Parts: sequence; structure tokens; C-alpha cells
Amino acid sequence: MHIPDGYLSPATCATLYTGSAPFWWVSLRRMRRGLNTHMVPLLSVFAAFSFIIMMFNLPLPGGTTGHAVGIGIAAIVLGPWASILAISIALIIQALLFGDGGITAIGANCFNMAILGSLSAYGIYRLLAGRAPIESSRRAVAGAIAGYVAINISALAAAVELGIQPLLYRDATGAALYAPYPLQIAIPAMMAGHLTVAGVAEMVVSGGVVAYLQRMEPNLLRSTAPGVQEHGTGDWSVTKPLWIALAVLAILSPLGILAAGTAWGEWAASDFLHPETRQQIANASAGQAPPSQPPAGLARLAQSWSAPLSRYAPPFLKNSALGYMLSAMIGMTLIIVMGLALGALLRRHSRSFIEATIANLLRASEYASTAEHSAESRGLLQRVDPRVKVVGLILLIIVVAASHHLVIIGVLFAIALALALASHIGVGKLVSWVWLPVLFFTGAIALPAIAFAPQGLRSAAYLVSRAETAATLSALLVLTTPWPWVLKALRVLKCPTVLVAILGMTYRYVFEILRTALDMFESRRSRTVGALSPAESRRLAASAVGVLLSKSVHLSNDVHLAMQSRGFRGEVHVLPDFRARAADWCWLAGFVFLAAAALWWGALTA
Amino acid sequence: MTAPVFDLRNVTYRYDAVAALADVTLAIPTGKRVALLGANGSGKSTLLRLLDGLHFADSGTVSFHGRALDAGAFGHDAFAFDFRRRVGLVFQNPEVQLFNPTVFDEVAFAPLQLRWPKEQIIERVSAVLELMEIGHLRSRPPHRLSGGEKKRVALASVLVLDPEVLLLDEPTAGLDPRSESQIIDMLIAWGDGARTVITATHDLGLVEDIADHCVLLYQGQVAAEGEPALVLRDQALLARTNMIHAHRHRHASGLTHSHPHTHPHRHD
Repeated sequence: MHIPDGYLSPATCATLYTGSAPFWWVSLRRMRRGLNTHMVPLLSVFAAFSFIIMMFNLPLPGGTTGHAVGIGIAAIVLGPWASILAISIALIIQALLFGDGGITAIGANCFNMAILGSLSAYGIYRLLAGRAPIESSRRAVAGAIAGYVAINISALAAAVELGIQPLLYRDATGAALYAPYPLQIAIPAMMAGHLTVAGVAEMVVSGGVVAYLQRMEPNLLRSTAPGVQEHGTGDWSVTKPLWIALAVLAILSPLGILAAGTAWGEWAASDFLHPETRQQIANASAGQAPPSQPPAGLARLAQSWSAPLSRYAPPFLKNSALGYMLSAMIGMTLIIVMGLALGALLRRHSRSFIEATIANLLRASEYASTAEHSAESRGLLQRVDPRVKVVGLILLIIVVAASHHLVIIGVLFAIALALALASHIGVGKLVSWVWLPVLFFTGAIALPAIAFAPQGLRSAAYLVSRAETAATLSALLVLTTPWPWVLKALRVLKCPTVLVAILGMTYRYVFEILRTALDMFESRRSRTVGALSPAESRRLAASAVGVLLSKSVHLSNDVHLAMQSRGFRGEVHVLPDFRARAADWCWLAGFVFLAAAALWWGALTA
Repeated sequence: MTAPVFDLRNVTYRYDAVAALADVTLAIPTGKRVALLGANGSGKSTLLRLLDGLHFADSGTVSFHGRALDAGAFGHDAFAFDFRRRVGLVFQNPEVQLFNPTVFDEVAFAPLQLRWPKEQIIERVSAVLELMEIGHLRSRPPHRLSGGEKKRVALASVLVLDPEVLLLDEPTAGLDPRSESQIIDMLIAWGDGARTVITATHDLGLVEDIADHCVLLYQGQVAAEGEPALVLRDQALLARTNMIHAHRHRHASGLTHSHPHTHPHRHD
């Protein structure tokens, strides 16, 4: 669900950054006002923890595997506001350092996962757990459902963001400039994966960790359980019914999304002209009256394009609502069947989840040391002031996102490649760390577009070239700049000091927690003979996450003491540094010139 | 005898229900090098954290130069900054102590928190890095250092303030023999005998090198106090407090037997 660069238009990205900003501001304010000096290390360690558990390969029912994001746990242990910060920081580090999720899409990813996810997980957990005692099984169930629903709400938001792209942004030939699939494809496709796989992963982790904490660290559950009596009844002995309920929910929720007559955002241009449908749109939009004329983009869309399956209604069905639901279900079933088939195919060769998780952890660690090593070599970009690089490369990424011409994107890609080569970053490194992973992911998404979307080849080319170019540019930043310098640059560029301090500590403790996780899994491997049953694997995974969480929290408590011992009183003080040389100003001018030239060229040929 | 730097009266401290320190009364004389001895879980680390004003006693009082260390005292910036400058604690696990992006930032952290002027910080940090022979590591991230290097950075990050009182928690734990002896040499040389150094350790071989007074803790209570030679000679006491153990060993004559013994690092 980490949206990469190139999938969303710059306007969408900007909107979502703007939408996220007040939440970040409130979270930071709350953290500071409470004078909770322990929040700085706690958030850092929690972000690092969330980062690490995203690499856990969880075995799921049906033989598939999935990754949890940890939104449920973060919201339950930290409360919604701190959870917003912790998950945002994990996402920022992933985007900046590991190329997982785009830099321009940080706002979108944070909005979906950190903000919507945390708030909904917290709300659902509080609502369902009520005043049940800390050790009540009702809390574990509430945690599981909170995780499941939160991740699905996040996915739905991402799907809507992706789905509105082809409505709004198309080039002169009608090819989609960004994500190519409209809402009626984006939502079922995204939700199928999350309702079945990712949601269950999040559910297993959230529920399992709450159960683990109830036994081992009940104190960690108290901050979000005010007014709870120490002992009492109120247990729900539900595990089987829960599964059934969730299965029903999984089947029904796409219907819920799609059943409301015309789905929100999927209006035909003509709907804006008829009073009756206008009223429907207004009802669906919280009373907001729609514009009297259809949006220009929508009108253009209606003329230039008709869906391959016309409005998703199989021709033999005259009732459009029913047909709509039916086609959504057919689509979902197809995707699930494909997923299961793929899972079965891969399972034959797959390693156990322990092996897979160890492999993931090792890969992250290897990438980080590759980046550190490469950042210390004496290449071209390594010599440039980090501030200039941060500004310049992000500027180019934005230009790539804004460009409507494949040629311009191609030229920027060539420039990125030339810069990489001049900075001692070999093609081999780019292929294995950047290009192949992006191609694997984006290619899988773009490929069907060639067949289904209008101007499919062109749409697919936009998506792949943009994603690859942006990923190469952002990799350049990390591969030529030691992380401490990236941090200092962010600080100089007026990121809040406390946020930068947390980013720094998160990166540092990612390695500590990564090492702990590796030790845990390797010692487990050395004691595991033969294959584990899926249920055993799941239990093992959930308790591994629990152990890691409690270790992380203890680490953060000790770090907090160590900070206090050296005079930390809740405010972070840093040395002002950096002196730009003339060469750095030249580089900055170069970046700005390049960006301006690309934009100008784009405007000229439009 | 001069006034004590730390004075503990009937101090009890609990983690949840478990008492880590139970009714400890103790005076740490100013300018002495003190060893806190005790087996794992005897309360050494907890005592150090109380002395550093990180935890506060559940009952009884801990005072520093006559001033009680409690939440109220640390609520005042002036006292807190003064105390933090005068007392430094080196944690056992350097991972906990090294939380900054680079070695330089790490060592500069404490002076920055204490709002020293920028020039003074840069000068002082550089001097300490040279003293600890880690100047070449200044822009490295701490998590990429070896165990011995991490320990030096941790020490440097506290010594940078030039504290009057240095609290050390197992300073040689987990170090190879060479790094261990280097750390010990640095500690012996540091402060010229004018500073108070309190070292928590269970390594009896270290004690006579680093301390002229020792306190033996057992299950959260003071089991013995006095000159190192006196305490170390009491084999029965050491055995009872789990500081020494018996294991079988073989002599050149071929005879095998066992008796309680220490592991001194002596080369005479």
C-alpha cells in the first residue's frame, strides 16, 4: 500500500501533504505540551519497531503470506497522536532510505496509513474494548478487529486516491498520466488484497500482540484503557465466531462500498446535469452540492473513453446496481483465485516464514550498509552540499511527477543515470537495488493496463518511466549522502528539530532492533526441526512481534534515562552547521536550471 | 573525613512489587574511588540510577552534597543542569547511550543540552575525542562501531562535561581483553585521583586497580563495606554473596580439586 512516486499527480500529492499537515502539527504540539520527554525515544524506537515488523513475513490462512504495518499496535500502545507520528516517521524513513513508497507520495502514504489508520484503529479499539479489564480477551479481539479495519480503511483511501487519477489526469491522446485504473477497478483490486491478505496479517499481529502484552507487559496497554477496573468479567470467548464474522465482512464490504447506487466519485458527466442524480451526488457528499457543470476532466473523459466492461454491468443484467455488485464480486473472486493460485505455486518453492523473514531483514541491513559505503566514497555527488542535494533531487522528482512528456522523463532518467555513474554508483547496484524492484512492482501493475486501459501502452509507459526515474533520483540522494548529513540538511531546511532528532534516533535503532529480530529468528531457526504448521507459524510470528515490542519499549526507557542523564529536558538542541561553498551554489543553480528547463520544454510542446 | 558526596539514608526502591534496594544506608566519600560489588540482580545498576537522579527512592533519602535528590529538585532547571554537569553516568549497554547519528553529535549531546556556547563545545568535544583516541571516528555512525569503540564513545560522551562524579556501570562488560585493559588504564589515569569515581562491577580482579573503597551489595542490601583488600579477603562472605564460586581445576601434579577462588588479573 506504499504508493510510489509517479502514481499520483503533483496536485494530489500536494493536497494530501496539506491534508496531513494539521494532524502532524497537532501531534507534535501534543507531544511537546505534555512535556513527555520520554516520547522522543519512545516514538523513535516505536517507529523503528514498526519499520522492522513490516519486514516480517507472516504466514496466513490459505498458504499466502503478508506483511503487517503495525498501525493497530501503535495506536493501541501509544494512543492515536503519538501513533500518527511514529508511523509517519517509519514511512518517511522507508521512503527516504529504502525507496519503499515515493518521496512525493509521503504525504499520501502518511495520510492513509499513519493518520486515517491510527485514528480509526484507536477509535475502533476503544469502542470495542470498552471498559473491559486489561487482561480480558475482549481486548485482544478488539485489537485484532481494529488492526483489520484500520488497514482496510487505509487501503480504501489509497485506492480512491489512485482511482481518481485517470479521471483527472490524461494526456492529449487520452492515456492516463498517472495511475491508470479508474475507481471501479482500483477499489476492488486494492480491497481484494487487503480484505483477504494484508488485513488478516494486520489482524493477526494486532490481536496476537495485544494478547502477548496482556500476559507479559500489561502496563503497555494501560495508557489507552482509562477507567478500567483491575479485575472483572466481560470476556468474550470468541475466536471461531470472529473468523466467521470477518469472512462475512470481507465478502460484504465491497458490496457496501459499491452498493450505494452510484458509488461516490463515479459519476458520469451527465449525472451533473440531471436534478435527480445531482441530488444523489449531494446526498453522498455530505450535503455538498455538486458543480452545475460536469468537471472538464470528467467531460473529456466521457467523450474519449468508455470502459472495457461498460460501467461494469454485464450486458445480461438490466438492473445496473445488481450488475455492478455482481461484477465487483466476480472481479474480487478472480483476484482472490489468482492470488491463491500464485500462493500455491510459490509455496512449493517457498522457504518457511522464518527463513523468509531472515532474508528480508538481511536484505534491509545489506542495503543500508551498501548505502553507507557508497555515501562515503568520493564520487561526484558525494562532494555536493547535502542541502543542495536534498533540494535539487527532490525538485527533479517533482518535475518528473509533473511532466506530461515521455521524452522529458526519459531525458531526466538519462541525467539521473549519468549522475549515478559519476558518483561511483554502478549500473549493477542500480539494477539490483532500484530498477528491478520498481519494475517488478510497477510492471505488475502496469502490464494489465496495456490490455484494458485506453491508450494502454502509453499509460503503462508513463507509470513505469516515472516510477523508475523518481526511484533512481531518490536513490541518488541516499547513496551519495551519509544519513547524518541528510538529517542535518532537513534541519537546516526548517524541519522541526524534534522531528529530525526522532528521525535520527529511529534510523539508529532500526539497526538495533533489526539485530535483535535477526537473533530471535536465527535462534528460533536453530531450534526448529521440520516444518511448522501454519497455525504454529502464526502464533510464533505474533509472539515474536510481541517480544520485539517489549524489548523495544524497554530499550526506549533506557535510552530515555541515558538522555536525561546527559541533561535532556525535553528540548533538543543542535549545533548549527554547514557552510555552502561556491561550487554548491553552482550545483543548486544547475538543479534549478534543469528543473526549469524541463518544465519549460513541457509547456512548449504542450 | 570530608563531607560525603552522596548520602543515602534507609533507601528502598521497588520495580513493581520487587524491591531492588531495601533499606540501604550508605555514604560515598568525596574524591574516593568506590567499587560497587555484587552479583547479577544485587541492585548495583539501580543504585547507580538513584545516584544519578534518574529514579527516585520510594522511601528514605538520597542526597548529593546535602541536597535531596527527588522529583522536586529536578523540576528546577538550575539544579538539574548543575547536577547533570557535575555527575555523569556511563551505562552498561552502550547501545542505550549512543542514540545520535554520529560520534561527534553523540559527544556534543550533553554540552548542547546544557547550552554551552558553540565554540566551547566544538573545542571541548575535539579534545575529548583525542583523549579517548577516537578522533578518527568523529563522523561515523555509532551503530557501525566495534564494541570497544562504542564503549569509548560512551565514556567520551560523559567525560566531555568533565564531571566531578563519574558513575560507571560494568565498564568492562563484553569487551575483549585488550579493550578492557585500555578502558581500565584510561579510568585510572582520569581525574588524577581528585574525582569521585563509582564503579559497579562483579569483576573482582578489577577492584584493587580501580577502587580504594568498596561496597558489597547482596539482594538489595549492603552486605559489607570497607577497603578492597579487607573485603576481598573474606572468602566466606564472597561465597555467600555469590561473588565467587568453586569449580574443579587441575594442578601440575595431576591432582584435581576444587575450592572457592577469585579470578585476579595479576602479572606479578
